[in-house]
Amino acid sequence: MKPDHYQRNHALAAEYVLGTLRGGARRRFETWMLESPRVRRQVWYWERRFQSLNRGIVERQPPAVVWRRIHARIGRRRPAARAWWWPVGSMLAASLVLALVLLWPSAPVSQQYVGVVQNSQAEPLWVLRTVTDNGHRRLSLKGVNVEAVDGKDFELWLLPRSGAAISVGLLPAGGGQRSTSLSERQLEVLRRSRALAVSLEPAGGSPTGQPTGPVLYQVRMITL
Amino acid sequence: MSEKLSEMVKLMAHTSRGDLASFEKLYSATSPRLYGLCLRMLGNRDEAQDVLQDVYIKVWHHAGEYHPERGSPVTWIVSIGRYACMDVLRQRRGHQDVDDLKESLRSAGVEPQQAALASADKESLDRCLGELSDPHRASIQMAYFHGLSHGQMARTLGKPLGTVKSWVRRGLDFLRRCLER
Repeated sequence: MKPDHYQRNHALAAEYVLGTLRGGARRRFETWMLESPRVRRQVWYWERRFQSLNRGIVERQPPAVVWRRIHARIGRRRPAARAWWWPVGSMLAASLVLALVLLWPSAPVSQQYVGVVQNSQAEPLWVLRTVTDNGHRRLSLKGVNVEAVDGKDFELWLLPRSGAAISVGLLPAGGGQRSTSLSERQLEVLRRSRALAVSLEPAGGSPTGQPTGPVLYQVRMITL
Repeated sequence: MSEKLSEMVKLMAHTSRGDLASFEKLYSATSPRLYGLCLRMLGNRDEAQDVLQDVYIKVWHHAGEYHPERGSPVTWIVSIGRYACMDVLRQRRGHQDVDDLKESLRSAGVEPQQAALASADKESLDRCLGELSDPHRASIQMAYFHGLSHGQMARTLGKPLGTVKSWVRRGLDFLRRCLER
C-alpha cells in the first residue's frame, strides 16, 4: 500500500477523521500526513464535510470557571508562535505543520520532536526528527527530493527566542539523509523555541557563523 | 465570506498575535458548540470541561497555524476538540465491557439500533447521510459521536466484525461519491 494511492488514502482519511482507523494503522497514517500535503488535504476535506453532523449538536454554555482556568493557564504569555523574530520579510513563506500536533493524542509517550520543512506549495523538502542514539540526542535530517543549488548549501539554524541564530549544520540535498548531534544548549533552545530556519549559504556553510544568504524556509517542531 | 465567518477569522488572527480580548471573544463564540459536542460524546461534565480547557490552551498557542483549508475557525476548533474527546473515550473504553458500552450510549440518548439523523437540514452531508441505509448511517454516527471502534460496534450491535467494517467502509465510500456529485 503506497501513501500516494489517492482513492485508498481518501478512504483512510475518512476513517482517520471518523476515528475507526486505530493503532499502528493510525500512527502510520499520521506519519503520511506529516509527509504529504495531499494526505493532509484529504483529512481536512473530511473534517469539513463531517462538520455538518455537528450542526445538530445542542450548544451548551460552559461554566465560567472553565474560562477562568484557561485564563490562569495562559496568563499573559503571548502565543509561542508569535515569538518569531526572524527577518524573513517577503521571503518564501513556509507552511507550518504544527497544526498536526493538535490532532495527536494529548499525552506524549516521550519528548520527541518532529518537523517538516515545506516550500510555499506545501511540498515537503526535509523531515527533521530528534532521535536518541546511545543516550545522546541527535537531529535526523532527511531530504525529500530537494533540488541542489550549484555552489551553494542549505544550512539549518536554531532560532532562540532572543539572541543570535545557532547553526545546526548543513541539510542534505536530493533524498539524502544525515544526522547531527545536539548539544545540551541546542536541545534547550529547541525545547524553548522549537523554531528553525533554513538559509542558502556558500558551499560548506556560512563563513561567519551567522546566516549570510537568504532565509528560505522556517519550521516549527512539534512534540510527539 | 459571511460577516460572521469573517469576524471569526479576524478573532483568530488577533488571537495569534496574543490579543487576549479577541481570544476571549473567540472562546465565547465557539465554546458552547464544543462543550455541547463534548458533553454528548463523553456524557461527563468534568471530562468535557477538562477537554475544553486543553483545547483552548492549544488554540491560544497555535492560532497562527489556522488556515482556511481547515474549514471555518469553528470547524478547526471543534475538530481539535472531537479528537481530544475520542482520546478520552479510547482510554476509558479500555475498561468497559459491552454492557457498559450500551449503557453509556443509552445515557447519551442513543439507541444503537436506530441512531437517528442529528440534523434535519438537507445540505451536503446531511442529504447524503439521509440516502444511506440504516446500518451504514448508524455505524458512522456511532463512530463519529461515540468514538466506537469497529470491534466495539460489532460487540454492541451483536454483528460480525467483518460486517461492521464493511458497513463503515461502504458508508464512507457512498458518502464520498455522493458529496462529489
